[in-house]
Amino acid sequence: MDEDVLTTLKILIIGESGVGKSSLLLRFTDDTFDPELAATIGVDFKVKTISVDGNKTKLAIWDTAGQERFRTLTPSYYRGAQGVILVYDVTRRDTFAKLDNWLNELETYCTRNDIVKMLVGNKIDKENREVDRNEGLKFARKHSMLFIEASAKTCDGVQCAFEELVEKIIQTPGLWESESQNRGVKLSNRDEGYGGGGACGGYCSML
Amino acid sequence: MAADSEPESEVFEITDFTTASEWERFISKIEEVLNDWKLIGISSGKPLEKGVYTTGTWEEKTDEISFADFKFSITHHYLVQEPSDKDGKEDLVEDALPLPMQDLLCMNNDFPPRAHCLVRWYGLREFVVIAPAANNDAVLSESKCNLLLSSVSIALGNTGCQVPLFVQIHNKWRRMYVGECQGPGVRTDFEMVHLRKVPTQYTHLSGLLDIFKSKIGCPLTPLPPVSMAIRLTYVLQDWQQYFWPQQPPDIDALVGGEVGGLEFGKLPFGACEDPISELHLATTWPHLAEGIIVDNDVYSDLDPIQAPQWSVRVRKADNPQCLLGDFLTEFFKLCRRKESTDEILGRSAFEEEGKEVADISHALSKLTEPAPVPIHKLSVTNMVHSAKKKIRKHRGVDESPLNNEVLNTILLFLFPDAADKLAEGFESRTVTSAGNNPPPENEDYNLFSQFKSAPSDSLTYKLALCLCMINFYHGGVKGVAHLWQEFVLEMRYRWENNYLIPGLANGPPDLRCCLLHQKLQMLNCCIERKKARDEGKRGSVSDRSPGGSCGDAGKGADHSADNPEKEKEVGKSWESWSDSEEEFFECLSDTEDLKGNGQENGKKGGAKEGNKDPVNLKPEGRLHPHGKLTLLHPGEPLYVPITQEPAPMTEDLLEEQSEVLAKLGTSAEGAHLRARMQSACLLSDMESFKAANPGCCLEDFVRWYSPRDYIEEEVVDEKGNVVIKGELSARMKIPSNMWVEAWETAKPIPARRQKRLFDDTREAEKVLHYLAVQKPADLARHLLPCIIHAAVLKVKEEEALEDISSVRKIIKQIISHCSKVLRFPNPEDKKLEEIIAQIMSVEAIIARARSLKAKFGVEKCENEEEKEDLQRFVNCLLEQPEVSVIGAGRGPAGSIIHKLFVNAQRVSAVPPLDEELRRSGSSEERRLNVGTTSDFPPPTGREVILRTTVPRPAPYSKPLPQRMYSVLTKEDFRLAGAFSADTTFF
Repeated sequence: MDEDVLTTLKILIIGESGVGKSSLLLRFTDDTFDPELAATIGVDFKVKTISVDGNKTKLAIWDTAGQERFRTLTPSYYRGAQGVILVYDVTRRDTFAKLDNWLNELETYCTRNDIVKMLVGNKIDKENREVDRNEGLKFARKHSMLFIEASAKTCDGVQCAFEELVEKIIQTPGLWESESQNRGVKLSNRDEGYGGGGACGGYCSML
Repeated sequence: MAADSEPESEVFEITDFTTASEWERFISKIEEVLNDWKLIGISSGKPLEKGVYTTGTWEEKTDEISFADFKFSITHHYLVQEPSDKDGKEDLVEDALPLPMQDLLCMNNDFPPRAHCLVRWYGLREFVVIAPAANNDAVLSESKCNLLLSSVSIALGNTGCQVPLFVQIHNKWRRMYVGECQGPGVRTDFEMVHLRKVPTQYTHLSGLLDIFKSKIGCPLTPLPPVSMAIRLTYVLQDWQQYFWPQQPPDIDALVGGEVGGLEFGKLPFGACEDPISELHLATTWPHLAEGIIVDNDVYSDLDPIQAPQWSVRVRKADNPQCLLGDFLTEFFKLCRRKESTDEILGRSAFEEEGKEVADISHALSKLTEPAPVPIHKLSVTNMVHSAKKKIRKHRGVDESPLNNEVLNTILLFLFPDAADKLAEGFESRTVTSAGNNPPPENEDYNLFSQFKSAPSDSLTYKLALCLCMINFYHGGVKGVAHLWQEFVLEMRYRWENNYLIPGLANGPPDLRCCLLHQKLQMLNCCIERKKARDEGKRGSVSDRSPGGSCGDAGKGADHSADNPEKEKEVGKSWESWSDSEEEFFECLSDTEDLKGNGQENGKKGGAKEGNKDPVNLKPEGRLHPHGKLTLLHPGEPLYVPITQEPAPMTEDLLEEQSEVLAKLGTSAEGAHLRARMQSACLLSDMESFKAANPGCCLEDFVRWYSPRDYIEEEVVDEKGNVVIKGELSARMKIPSNMWVEAWETAKPIPARRQKRLFDDTREAEKVLHYLAVQKPADLARHLLPCIIHAAVLKVKEEEALEDISSVRKIIKQIISHCSKVLRFPNPEDKKLEEIIAQIMSVEAIIARARSLKAKFGVEKCENEEEKEDLQRFVNCLLEQPEVSVIGAGRGPAGSIIHKLFVNAQRVSAVPPLDEELRRSGSSEERRLNVGTTSDFPPPTGREVILRTTVPRPAPYSKPLPQRMYSVLTKEDFRLAGAFSADTTFF
């Protein structure tokens, strides 16, 4: 099965505690929703293979605990991630306000700077919305992220979020392909080439 | 000719090709290819612009055809042109000559600096070449040559293709081509003469004119005027008036013991030989009418100084030996060595190796055993050395690859703290914060994260530079192995004696750096913790801030107390680090203990039994009051406990752990197990919390630890008052979830008496073992990113002095290339080599720029404007194949070039006697010398293009373009003629 997989991508899910990171993941991988999902301890891990533009891509998704205290532990797992899903709860403004902290954290601990970031506003099925869609949009634009609103409960936008993220990663050269991507810089302006002619390829100065 | 196309092709006529000969098949194959490439029909295009052969793009298409079993390649070379609005023009120029014939006379692209030889010889913008496919194949016999030429002729005739078609004959290196171009009623034959020995009559203009005219055989008298373009090329090889400025590094100075440590922190730069080997000056008379000048076997008007156009090209030494490049290459070679350190340092070392480590630590402990007695006079490294010397004696090995002086210099450079402390007491050694200052936030400094190397002021980086230097100058791989052994010894010494390693940033390993750097940081973390513990034990440090509740509480309160993260940061800062650290592990001096109650003095023993009374009501291990929160039941203030710091991790450990976690799979049990494995930290925090807050409950803990999981609501109670009621969130209330489970298991134990989450002893030993088993090759691989990093910085620094925009661009490319390659754990050798080659080429470019600058005296030029012009000229020389000299021989650059030649001539004017004889023997050279008044050497190359338009073969034929190109060099003479004839009546 691994034969036809184009690549394996490491995806992170981060955000304040209780915003529904594990629920989003569970919805994506198992297509279920559990209102009583236990609070994550440390990091959790799930795998799913999806197909984007006909390319099979294996996703290793690391779900992290949002509690402050765990933040001494979880950033170690940021290493080598190609994509990150940053989640906030649209019904709790404080989870939106903390987004900047999370971005700082990412910047500090991520080993690469071209990681693809997606902002997800979760729990849009709830009535008591506190964060407007436009605010999320503005934040995402400011930090050049992808943006979507979703609900793990009603399934809105979940699949789409992951797919968009993966597509974006695949489109980013150098982010995932280690083999054929970097062919190096050409230093000489066509000093060689043009075979054919004589012993010097037909090209020559007079001497 | 075109007979077959018209006739009444009856439907029933059968055309039989079954008996076609190889020759016919060959011709039809050529026609097919010409058809495929759409070369049929009238070729059209704009007149050529000046210099377009150099500025435009040339492309080529190749196919393979065969004559019987002999393979030919057929190639179409063409200048890419913007499509012109063909259809409109085509009608207008119905009667015009085929484009290639017009090109023969075009003077806008004579002597292109870089072009296919046929372009150079015939001025064509487009042509097709048929040549033997294999490089060593050749069409030698005359009949075969003729057969080929006939095939070409037939194919052109059959298809109506107007593109010139050449066949290559004789050995390929001779570059002999014959060819043909056909148009309606006209034909041009391309012919060639190639000789090694030059007949004297062709060495001058008048002789060439004669042969041109006789070749045309024009019946008209007087002959229409012939236009001439002449280029003489002079080569300057002798630069001796201008010394190559690069001083080779003085190796003796380095070993002489007078080296400042600084030398070891630098990479060398520059070429050891002149990277510019020759200067070619081309003096051109672009357009001379016949009869204006005289150039015959006794006299010549062609004085290069008088030439209206000068252009210059420089010949670059192919692979100039450059210091930085050599350093890099040699270091990279280390990566391929297979020997282990022991194998390199000799068998005897190997035999004793098992004992050695023990020996050393033994020797060290002997030296340092009386720990309270400060050893004032010895530096850390000195101690190691004396220990090492003993071992050496013991081993009977007196020879070591690095002499002590060099070794000492390097060790002092790497561990400057050892020197600082020579005169200081033991106590003052405790804080080793060298290199711990917040790093400068600039782009260059942060390069290390792109290269995955190490900060440029770090120990790792310096070590890399030292090893590179040693590898090059001091004993190669042996020296490397030796220094590494010493380095590892020093590391062990520092671990055992609680000296922090200098030149490493505080805190957990920086995952952006290379693994070796992380390992050293890890070791430092271990040393820090061990030191804190030991100092606590010794109890000799009385002025420590007490830590614990009273000391830190005040501090904590200043920072908004409900922000544990800020708190954590405070905890990480250097000064409080050691404070909180030493609280952890059974320190007797804990003020809180003393304060608590007297009988707790026996606590230490009690903790080890691990049977503390769970309902211990004495609060322990408080960091500071939370501030806002009180416990739910007793109503006392809630205290934030002192907690254990999480274990620092290097990336390989992390990798291991993620793998373990990932291997548990995605099932529910897997997830559960994973959570359990990671709950140690949670449990430890819960225990600390319980100890700090006697009588607390899970709700209290959750309110501190995960506030969002405690949901508060305003409720109106039975008396009508608004009361805030809170409860755990649904997920915390799930029966027997991990949080509840952990809470139930947690005993009130303060952090300092808990099992250590991080076993510094074990981790340190692991790191030391890891370091000890690294072979020189492993080491080189670990440190290569640092070396590349250093090399790029060096190149950048040097470029800044020269300001070459193209180099700046390449450096940017190199950096982005590096950040792609070095990020992966095991970069391929090929890619690393590529990077090194790129850096080397940049070094060569800069060296060339310097060489040229010196030669043209750019720095010496006093006139600002001229200086700028010269600078521009020099930069052009680096980037363009050929640069024209403004003002020719009279411009500022021209006069410098003139002087260069004059000086070179002056030196060779007093040649040794035998040379004089040889010289006078050659009438040829003597004649050339006469014309140039000896300022210039005889020209290395003479190129002449003769052109005219005359009717051929009969006086009444159409006047057609005729052209002959000739080139004469020392050992090569070539005439390339294109003679057109009117075929209408012939």
